[in-house]
Amino acid sequence: MAVQVKRAKLAGDGALERASALLGRARLAVIGGLLTDIAGAEAALALAEKLGGVIDHAAGEGLCRASRIMRETGGCPASMGEVRNRADIVVLVGDGPLKREPGLLTALFPKKEGLPRPGNNSRGLVLLGCGEAEVPAHIPVTRIGLGNLDLATLVARLSAAVHQHQAQVRDDDLATTLQGLAERLRAGAFPVFVISYCDLDDQVLRTVLDMVRHLCVTTRAANLSVPAPGNGDGVNLCSVWTCGLPVRTSFVSGLPEHDARMYGARRLIESGEADALLWVEALPTFGVERPQGVPTVVLSSTGNGATAADDVAIEVGCPGVDHDAELYLWSIAGIGMVKATRPNGGAPTVAEVLGRIAERLGSPEARA
Amino acid sequence: MIRLKGGRVIDPVHGRDATGDVFIDNGRIAAAGANGRKADQTYDVTGKIVMAGAVDIHSHIGGSNVTMARLLMPELPALAAKGGATIAPTPAAWGAFATGIRYAEMGYTTVIEPAMIPTHAIEAQLELSRIPIIDVGGLAILGNDDFTLGLLRDGAGKMAIEDYVAWTLAHTKCLWIKVINAGGSAAFKFNARSFGLDEMVPGYGVTSRAIVQALQYAVTGLGVPHPLHVHCNNLGLAGNVDTAVATIEAAEGLPIHFAHIQFYGYGSEGPDGLSSGAPRLIEAINAHKNVSVDIGQVMFGQTITLSGDILRQFDGRGAAKPKKWMIDQGDGNGTGIVPYKYRAKNFVNAVQWAIGLEIMLLAEDLWQVLFSTDHPNGALFVRYPEIVHLLMDRDERARWLEQVPEASRQVLNLPGITRELTLSEVAIITRGGPARLLGLTDRGHLGTGAVADMSVYSEQADKTAMFAHADLVFKDGELVVRDGEVVNVTWGRAFQVAPGFDAAIERRLDRFYDRYYDLNPSIFDVPADIAGRPERFATVPCLT
Repeated sequence: MAVQVKRAKLAGDGALERASALLGRARLAVIGGLLTDIAGAEAALALAEKLGGVIDHAAGEGLCRASRIMRETGGCPASMGEVRNRADIVVLVGDGPLKREPGLLTALFPKKEGLPRPGNNSRGLVLLGCGEAEVPAHIPVTRIGLGNLDLATLVARLSAAVHQHQAQVRDDDLATTLQGLAERLRAGAFPVFVISYCDLDDQVLRTVLDMVRHLCVTTRAANLSVPAPGNGDGVNLCSVWTCGLPVRTSFVSGLPEHDARMYGARRLIESGEADALLWVEALPTFGVERPQGVPTVVLSSTGNGATAADDVAIEVGCPGVDHDAELYLWSIAGIGMVKATRPNGGAPTVAEVLGRIAERLGSPEARA
Repeated sequence: MIRLKGGRVIDPVHGRDATGDVFIDNGRIAAAGANGRKADQTYDVTGKIVMAGAVDIHSHIGGSNVTMARLLMPELPALAAKGGATIAPTPAAWGAFATGIRYAEMGYTTVIEPAMIPTHAIEAQLELSRIPIIDVGGLAILGNDDFTLGLLRDGAGKMAIEDYVAWTLAHTKCLWIKVINAGGSAAFKFNARSFGLDEMVPGYGVTSRAIVQALQYAVTGLGVPHPLHVHCNNLGLAGNVDTAVATIEAAEGLPIHFAHIQFYGYGSEGPDGLSSGAPRLIEAINAHKNVSVDIGQVMFGQTITLSGDILRQFDGRGAAKPKKWMIDQGDGNGTGIVPYKYRAKNFVNAVQWAIGLEIMLLAEDLWQVLFSTDHPNGALFVRYPEIVHLLMDRDERARWLEQVPEASRQVLNLPGITRELTLSEVAIITRGGPARLLGLTDRGHLGTGAVADMSVYSEQADKTAMFAHADLVFKDGELVVRDGEVVNVTWGRAFQVAPGFDAAIERRLDRFYDRYYDLNPSIFDVPADIAGRPERFATVPCLT
């Protein structure tokens, strides 16, 4: 039967033993979700290595897309601090950035004097294929809608204009608008494209980054990426410094091996390749649903627990709410400390639970 | 008590190079028969070389910049291994855990991460905390950040700069302060593409010289044991030996350390406008006893360059191999990452390779000239044994000189240098010298009371083989390496200095970060119990 456990019962009712037994007897265990802090991610990586399992994050698709583009071409990012203080033209690409970060525009265009910045252009916002976003009145905005185009085509046409390609384009209003934006970008002292890796496809991302690389030959230019939800960037960085590779990494062979398609948690479970899941959702889930179909250990801070007879659910604290937590913070473009807002809530941390499950596992040889 | 019996004990700090015993008691070097005790464990190291554990003063082993480089180039270990480097051909070989293991295997017990971005200090300290065995310390980067520049622009005064430096050290839990291309990275934000010692930072009106001097005064005034760690302007440019010498002279006799000096050892003589500036540089170093340097030795093969000198890295992106690069325009310096392959057949690379060796071999006082590759910028740290081999064996140098272009030999001094460093001299540049400069007086030597960090090697003609894997390594008196392999994974400590500061600087910083970043700086304050380890940090006292 399903087991629902809170901390007070943790030591006594065998939940940890059940969880470790469930994972320990698996042919291939996947640790997914990973909506957790850095300490939780470190514990998950250690457990995956011990299990010979796979790690993935709920935003793994976007994280792996970002990692692959970085690995193949590099990048030219800027921090939020640099953009809000020094960018003169800020181009939001698609709906993703505002969907992920509703307070984005206020953060990028604070009603405060900024640091010394290059050039003397007035600051302005461009919404490129962003729909009907609401913009605070103090921000000068240019809206360029999709019209009849998809986002990839719109961005490609802007890129052609930025590169000053001699193309036979119908002399429509959009062409004139894009030419005007391209001229502004080339004349800008620090143009920045704001993107969301989790919401843009590979082609759009590569086109945007190519524009940045082209512009920065003659002026300063950059992209600003909104972070993946659920501390995705923090978990991904932790994976990289721990084992050298991003999430969607397998430890089956003993050495870490990364494959963005093969080691996606959902695919592994739906295909039947994985036969156990450890799902971690200590941070809000942003609508991601847990894969179903295999025996599962759920670590949740929200009461979401066992859904099948042989599942085990363990309540954990929410990082930054129930306990202090190291999380990726966009404001510093890196990992920072978030103090608990209601400490001593009683629930254990993800790291504590995973560490105790790992303690109960024998060596891989013994389990075999 | 542990006894290492009958080895050749090399400890230049105490002028010792003789056969004898070394005793370890309670994690420290002890005198024979200390406290009336006899050894209850003996290692017979007859015929072997016994040294203190090695200390690396400048190696990029952890932090957001290093992890960005890992993201950019997970294939680095595989490419390096293909070229012959002693590194496992897996991305994991570049991770935190493998870093500590490989360092320990070579006999290193303390390593300094030289570029900690203050706002990313939590990540850096987390990464460092996951490196096993070795002790670590960090250098916090200042000098291109808007707060420093604002203080200087506003004429805030010496005490305010000192308070800010002390506050930064407290927040980052770092050991020292480093300045990278002072003002140059800030100027890059205004689209500058070059920046000299006396140029003004746009928007602030302060010169590079003024930034370096202000930080130097602050570090000295606070009594930080290690002098300001300086990465000069104009790195990697032909003729930049002029900049290095000018910066040495600008120090006005105050203690100063120059990082990876090889990259500033370039003259502009010869038909190709590039020559060795090593003789001029070493002349200046010899004449200025307040100056110390580490080398930043280049070795042929694949590596990756990463630096807070974003201006230089941007300029160098065209030479990326493989063809990909990353310019991260972060707060303060930012970071530039450019993969690079040094080739023996390349004129420029050959000159770079030779200049580093020339500086070490021409030095009058090796206590001023310390060993580094600026890992991974000049070469991966796993290649240190090859460099020691080159320094100790002129035949090995000759073998390599035959492989570099004739044009490069024409502008070098290395072919005429016959000096071969002794084991004692190697111990100076890899142990005693760095430890002394860092203010870590409890290591780098084998005197009674020193921490029992030790490495034992089998003497071999092939110094590469000799130093690639130690026979035995002790960390804090525990055996961690036997026959070149780690047998015991321990966890070391991180060093910090903690000079006090006036609380007024905190209020000023709170206002600064609130106004320009909409955040409170407490979010990047490194906790004392980082990674759940309350005993992680050890405080090194400031000089009084």
